[in-house]
Amino acid sequence: MLLASAATLPLLLATAGCRSSDAFTGPDPLAGRPPLGHEVRTLQAVIAAEENLIDLYRAAISGDPATSARARLLRPLLAQHEQHLAQLRARLVEPPGTTMPPSPSPGRTGNPSASPGPVRVSTVRLREAERASAAGLVQRLATVEPALAQLFASIAASDATHATALGG
Amino acid sequence: MAAITAVPALQAALAAEDAAIFGYGVAGAHLTGSSLSAAMRYWTGHHEARDTLAAMISGLGAAPAAAQAFYRLPFQVHDAATARALAAYLEDGGTRAYLGLVAVSDQRLRHFAALATQSAAQRAAFWRGSTQAFPGLVR
Repeated sequence: MLLASAATLPLLLATAGCRSSDAFTGPDPLAGRPPLGHEVRTLQAVIAAEENLIDLYRAAISGDPATSARARLLRPLLAQHEQHLAQLRARLVEPPGTTMPPSPSPGRTGNPSASPGPVRVSTVRLREAERASAAGLVQRLATVEPALAQLFASIAASDATHATALGG
Repeated sequence: MAAITAVPALQAALAAEDAAIFGYGVAGAHLTGSSLSAAMRYWTGHHEARDTLAAMISGLGAAPAAAQAFYRLPFQVHDAATARALAAYLEDGGTRAYLGLVAVSDQRLRHFAALATQSAAQRAAFWRGSTQAFPGLVR
């Protein structure tokens, strides 16, 4: 019995009347960059959302007097979001040359000359952003691996405590 | 990471709830006013959570672990400040236990555990007077 092997496969194909190019159908798996996996795409989305939240806090703080009660409340929350971002980025290993699309944020616009000046970010808006962040993380943790799910759940819990601290 | 099975993780959360029920009884004796009201509300919530977890464990065919008659406290409680510190300690324990349950593969249990983690973290932040970056994660 002739067993198929890397050495004998071409012979088998030739004797069967097949060309090697006929052996594979569909797109060439070796052409171009392979698609990113689900967890990589999920992490990228969570990182972008965290960056947006940080931008929101920075805009809020920059719009307040440095010694205001609200600024003193917001700075530790911002610091915790920066810790969230550091941990999330540490989990992400991207192929070389990968570029993430820029995420929209309240502090940046596509046209710098159209910037109207500092944006006043209300506490209500921050609170709602925290709630949305927590809810989004809980939704995403269902389909990622266990350790990443726990990180998402912990960050979501932190966000929930922020919402409460902001009067929620 | 090894697969986390549901029953041991649920039992760990149940143990945390039983410890909280015991500990709030000690803490409540040193609290007054709005702090006492909060402690009583949370104590009732822990009873409900304990019953929910026991039912979930039974539903999976296992016997819920019984509460201990006595729990060794991490420090002596003798005034409102130490009572609040004990309450925060108990809620931190609950946060860790529920975060452990998040690691199971069952999506419904993960969702339940994630929301319970949030609730425990919020109670801990209430007693502590401050928030944390990573509730429940040992760092």
